[in-house]
Amino acid sequence: MSRIAVLARTVVDQIAAGEVVERPASVVKELVENSLDAGATTIDIVVDDGGRARIRVADDGSGMERADAVLALARHATSKINVADDLVGVGSFGFRGEALPAIASVSEMDVETASADGAGTAIRVLGGEMGEVRDAARRRGTTITVSRLFFNAPSRQPFLRSARSEWRGISEVVTALALTRRDVRLTVVHDGKQVVALPPAPSLQSRLAGLWGAPFAERLVPVDAVQGAIHVSGLIERPADVGTAGRRLFLTVNGRAIRDHGIVRAAEQAYRSTVPAGARPTLCLDVVVPGDLVDVNVHPMKAEVRFRDRWIVERAVEHAVRHALGGSASAASVGPRAWAYPTSFAAPASVDVEILSPPAPLEEGFLAQPTTDFVTAADSSFVAPTPEVPPLLQLARMYLMFEGEGGVVLIDQHSAHERVLYERFMRTLEQGETPSQRLLFPITLHLGPAEGDAFEAHQELFAKLGFEIEGFGGHTLIVNSVPMPHPRFDAPRCLRETLDALSGDRDAGVATRHERLAATLACKAAIKAGEQLSPGEMRALFVALAATTLPAHDVHGRSTIVQLPWSEIERRFGRS
Amino acid sequence: MRFTIAREKLQEGLSAVAASVPAKTTLPVLANLLVETTDRGIRLSGTDLDMAVSTELMADVDVQGAITIPAKKLVEIVRELPSAPVKVSASGEQKITLECSRSKFKLLGLPKDEFPSFPSIRFGESWRIRSGDLQKLISHTAFASSTEESRPILNGVLWELRPDQMRMVATNGHRLAKMEIPINATEVPSSDLIIPPKALEQIRRLFPAEEELEVARGDNHLGFRSPFTAVYTRLIEGPYPNYEQVIPKDNDRIALADRNALIQALKRMSVIASDQTHRIRMSFNSGMLKFSVQTPDLGEAQDELPINFEGDSLDIGFNASYLLEILRNLPTDEVRLTFKAPERAATIEPVGWDDTAKYLCLIMPLRLVD
Repeated sequence: MSRIAVLARTVVDQIAAGEVVERPASVVKELVENSLDAGATTIDIVVDDGGRARIRVADDGSGMERADAVLALARHATSKINVADDLVGVGSFGFRGEALPAIASVSEMDVETASADGAGTAIRVLGGEMGEVRDAARRRGTTITVSRLFFNAPSRQPFLRSARSEWRGISEVVTALALTRRDVRLTVVHDGKQVVALPPAPSLQSRLAGLWGAPFAERLVPVDAVQGAIHVSGLIERPADVGTAGRRLFLTVNGRAIRDHGIVRAAEQAYRSTVPAGARPTLCLDVVVPGDLVDVNVHPMKAEVRFRDRWIVERAVEHAVRHALGGSASAASVGPRAWAYPTSFAAPASVDVEILSPPAPLEEGFLAQPTTDFVTAADSSFVAPTPEVPPLLQLARMYLMFEGEGGVVLIDQHSAHERVLYERFMRTLEQGETPSQRLLFPITLHLGPAEGDAFEAHQELFAKLGFEIEGFGGHTLIVNSVPMPHPRFDAPRCLRETLDALSGDRDAGVATRHERLAATLACKAAIKAGEQLSPGEMRALFVALAATTLPAHDVHGRSTIVQLPWSEIERRFGRS
Repeated sequence: MRFTIAREKLQEGLSAVAASVPAKTTLPVLANLLVETTDRGIRLSGTDLDMAVSTELMADVDVQGAITIPAKKLVEIVRELPSAPVKVSASGEQKITLECSRSKFKLLGLPKDEFPSFPSIRFGESWRIRSGDLQKLISHTAFASSTEESRPILNGVLWELRPDQMRMVATNGHRLAKMEIPINATEVPSSDLIIPPKALEQIRRLFPAEEELEVARGDNHLGFRSPFTAVYTRLIEGPYPNYEQVIPKDNDRIALADRNALIQALKRMSVIASDQTHRIRMSFNSGMLKFSVQTPDLGEAQDELPINFEGDSLDIGFNASYLLEILRNLPTDEVRLTFKAPERAATIEPVGWDDTAKYLCLIMPLRLVD
C-alpha cells in the first residue's frame, strides 16, 4: 500500500483552519473583516457561550450573488486580489480567500446573503460539506452564523478555553474593530445581553467614550503629527493620570490593528520625565505609513507588520507623542469629571485649552518648540520676544494663579521651576558647560560611603553642571565653585540632597544617567513650596516655563499646571 | 494718659519708629506702637521682635500712662491733620481719643502689657561711636551681605570693635566688602558682633551724622542710643567665616580705571548678560580693557575701555551686577583692580581717597567657558 496519499480536501481545510481559526475570537475577526471589506456600515454580532456555541455576524455590506457565495466557500476564492502584484500594498483586510472555507470546515455554518434587497441565498455547510442551497428573503448584506465550532475537530476542542476567556478574546477583536472603524455602527449581544451599542462616532474620543466611558476618554489628549511620509494620530493618556487606572493599548497601522513593541516603546520613550519610571500610559495610536514602507503579510493572524525602516516610524511616533504632551491640553484638569459627562455618549471633553495662554495668547509654536531647535536657536542668537505675561498671584506660597482663556489656571511653583531647571540642566549636559561662581569660602561636605560613590560615578557630570569639586581623601569633598541657576540657590544643601538621592542608583546608561542627575538636581535646586516669590520672580518663572518643551509636567510626572474651567466655576455658582 | 504735642513733632517721631513695625505679623500687638509718657514728654516704640526702635519726643503731659495704638492708622491720621497741637488721651486700657483743631478721632488700641518688653541692655559699659563713622561703614559694606537663607551667618554684617579701630565686613560668599576706621576706645573690651543689615539701615537713617552714640551689648542683643532715640537689634550668633584668609595678598596684575567709565561699560554689557548669572568676560591687556558678553538665546555685545594695566594679560569672567554694586559704592573717581589668575579672587579699591577709612572689596570670578 502506498504510504503517501494526497489529503482529502476536508482534511486540508481542517489543517488550514488550525492556522486561521485558533479560537472563537479569530472567527469573529475573520467574519468582521469580510463584512468591512464588503463595505458594511452596520455590523451586528451575536455571541453565545463565549462563541463556543454560536457566533453570528450580520452586516449590510454588498452581499454576494448565489454563484459567488458557493464559490466563496471553496478554498482560495477571493474577490480581493487577482494577481501576485496586488499583494504589495494590499489595502483590504482579508485576501487569501481561505477564511470562510476554513471556518466552515470546523463548524456548522449558515450563510445568508443578498446582493440586493429581497432575493437572497441561504447555504448550509456542515463540517466543510456543502449542504443545501436555497432561496432566502433578506435585505442586502450577509449574515454568517457559525455554530458548534470545532465539533468535528476533537483534537482542538480541549484547547478551547472557558467561555469567559474566549469572550475576552472576542471583546478585544470588537474593540479593535470599534476603534479602527468608528464610521461603522456596531452592536454586540453576548448570551442574550446587549454589551456594546455604538453609533457611528464623529471622533476617536467619542468612540472611546462609548466603549470605555466618558471619564476614561477625557483623560486622553490628542496626538496628531506628520513627519515625512508618516502620519501619527490618536489619543494618549495625560501624564498626570498615567498609572491611576489599568493601561489600555491600541495600535493601528494603516487602519489595521496590530501589536508592535517598537512603536509602544517609542511612545513611552516620549513620556520620559513626565511620568514616574515604570508607569505605562494608555495609548491609542494610528500610524499611517505609505504602503511601500510596510509589509502587512508577515503574520498569519495579521497581528504584526514589518516596516521597511522601523526607526523612521518609531521616531515619528516619539516625536508625535512628545509634541502632544508639550501641548497644554495634556495638563491636568480639575473637578469631578463624572458630573460633567453623565452619559456614556456625551460629547468629547473640551479639555483642549491653551492652558498657558492668558487672554493675550502665547503662540502655539512657542510652547511647542522642539528640543532639537535649541542648537540653532543658540547660534542665531535672536529669538522671539518674551510672551505676554498675565498678572500672577501667589497662593499659599505654593501656587501661581492667573486667568487663562478657559478658566482659572494654577501653576505649582516648585514643579514648574523643576521642569525649567531640568530642561536647562539637560541642555547643559548635552551641549557644554555652564558658568560657575567661584566661592570665597569653599564648602566642605562630609559624605557617607554611598554618597561618596554616587559622587564618583557622576563627577564629570557635576563638573559640566558647574560644580568644581575636589576629593579630599576619604569621603570629604571641597566644593570650590557652584552654578547659579537662580538667586535663591542653596548649593551645599542641593548637592547633599542630590548625592543622597543618587546614592541608591545602580549603573545606568549614559543618557539615563544624565536624565536622572538632571532630574534629581532640578528637584533639589528648584524653589520650594512655601517660598514667597516677588512679582518679578513669578513673571520670570512663567516665561521660563512657557519656553520649556513640556510645560505641563514636572520631572516626576506630576502636573505643573492645573486648570479650573469656567464651566466648573459656573456650575458651582449655579450659573450653568 | 493725656498729653499734647505739636503735630510736626509727632509726625517726625512716627516716621522714625514706623519702619520697625512689621508689615505682616501673627502677633497683633506688633502692628501697634507703644506710646508712653516720660519725664520729658512721650516715647514712641515699635518692634518686629528682631529689632526695636524707640524715640522720645517733647510733649506736655497732663496725665501719666501708656497704651498701644495701631501704627498704620496713627501715621495716616497724623499725616492728614492740620498743623496744630494734637491732644491725645487714653481712657481705660484700650480707648484712645485724638483731637487736633476741630478734628476728632477715636481709636481702639491694645493694653500696654501686651507689648513685648525691650531687651535689657545696660549702657553703663558702652562704646562711644560717632554716628557719621558708623554711617560710613554701613553704607559701604552692608550691601555685600547675603539675602539667601542658607547660611544665616552671612545674612549679617560683621562689626569688629578694637581699641584702635573698628571694621565692618559683609559677604555673600561670592563678593565681600570691608572697611575700617580708626577710633579710640581703649576703655572697653574688643568685640565681634554680627548684626542684621535691616537694623543697620535704621541706625544709618535715624541718627544725625554728628551725634555720638552709645553702643552696648546685652546677652544676644545690641543697643544703640543717642539722647532721644534708641535702636535695639538681635545679634546673629556663630563664628563669622575667616575672611582674612581669603583676601589675596599676592595679586600681581593691577589695573587702574575710571570708575564712571567702567560703570557705563558694565551697564551696557549687562543688557545682554544672562538674567541668572550676569556673566560678562573682561580681557585685560596693557592699555586696553575689552568687555564681551555672549548669552545663548539672546545675543552678544563687546565694548572697550582704555585703562592702565600692569602684568600679564588676563581673561576673566564676572557677575556684572556684583561688579556694578561694588563700583557704585566706591568713593573715588579712580579705582584699582588687582588679579592673580582667572579662578582667583580679584580686589577693587578706591584710589586717592582722602579719608582715614580704608576700604577694600573682593569679588570671586565666574568660570569662563570656551
